[in-house]
Amino acid sequence: MAPKKLEPVHIEASEDPASFEARNVHEIYDAIAAHFSSTRYKPWPIIAKFLSDLPTGCVGFDSGTGNGKYLPLPSDRPGAIWTIGMDRSRNLLEIARHAGSAPERPRVYREVIWGNVLDNGWRPGAFDYAISIATIHHLATPERRKLAVQRLIQAVAPVCGRILIYVWAIEQDELSKRKVVDEEEAEKIENGKDVMVPWVLSKNLAPKPVEDTERPEVYNRYYHMFANGELALLAEDAAEGLGLRVGAPTHGQSGQGVEIVQDGWERSNYYVELRRWSI
Amino acid sequence: MVRLITHNLLACHVKGCNANNFPLEFRNVELEIREAEFNPDFVKGFLPKIEWKALVDTARQLGDTSLPEEQPEMLDDDFLKNLHHVLLEIHVEEGAMVCPNCKHEYPIASGIPNMLLAEHEIA
Repeated sequence: MAPKKLEPVHIEASEDPASFEARNVHEIYDAIAAHFSSTRYKPWPIIAKFLSDLPTGCVGFDSGTGNGKYLPLPSDRPGAIWTIGMDRSRNLLEIARHAGSAPERPRVYREVIWGNVLDNGWRPGAFDYAISIATIHHLATPERRKLAVQRLIQAVAPVCGRILIYVWAIEQDELSKRKVVDEEEAEKIENGKDVMVPWVLSKNLAPKPVEDTERPEVYNRYYHMFANGELALLAEDAAEGLGLRVGAPTHGQSGQGVEIVQDGWERSNYYVELRRWSI
Repeated sequence: MVRLITHNLLACHVKGCNANNFPLEFRNVELEIREAEFNPDFVKGFLPKIEWKALVDTARQLGDTSLPEEQPEMLDDDFLKNLHHVLLEIHVEEGAMVCPNCKHEYPIASGIPNMLLAEHEIA
């Protein structure tokens, strides 16, 4: 099947971004939670490695945890680190709460919080690490995306706090069901693209029974698809906005900063790994 | 879920509430004790990051008096097991957390705390 080109969306300046997100993101995840979760089970390799490299005793949080698929990691050292999941969808949290439970074994309990990625409900610098996977692209303005990154920076320790962020890219790979723009167009876009991504709800997982004669229910979720380089710039901008230096620590100069450890594209996503430093 | 590991990291985030906003105080709680696998290396690694007084006081409010006022110098197995129990095995299933400063109440239902704020309360 040829990839489907996504509908662009223009958010009116008069629109309140919070209520736009409530209608086009939060309500939809609550409606599709069970079906959505059944399609999200495989951890991305770079994220699995990030979590696996953390020393035993680390505590972190997952901003926009969804069904909590990263909460049980690393799988080779269960319980060595502790990730607390936060999400805006209460129905997804019900699933995340027991993420990684095996059938016919006692249920596993995770720590999950019902919260907003733009809020700041933690002791400052309390965490060793934070991840935000496929979440920030649901925020409807550049200012809100920047604030979400700042919340991650504020949540981790000023000395060596680590952050990993993933967002959807306008460049989707050949395996993707979606297409955002044509290749020639993609190269010209610097600030990403706002689109609606349809979710066709599977009937047997729908919240209420759907008559066979009815068409399957389609839910359109809002996404800001990131352009090449946009995520790293956003991270730098977020750090500078908090009065932090950007880049590696300079020898003999005291201060606090954020360094980009790696950034790149993996299978239709852009990612960036940040590390805080303080000297 | 609110176990004390999470409680020790949460703070009130109502607009303008920046001082004395930690730790949140539990109210009308229903507890559930669930065994969790003991990993002494995890407990030792997390220990330096704990706000100790907040943890000890909160554990006592919930009826657990196993932790000393001051962190001991010797981390023996008994101590680490008590700490493991306090951090990871006491689940607050129902109730609320109240900010000591602004008195905002964060409800807990079916083990999930609601940290969302109304529009006018957001910083």
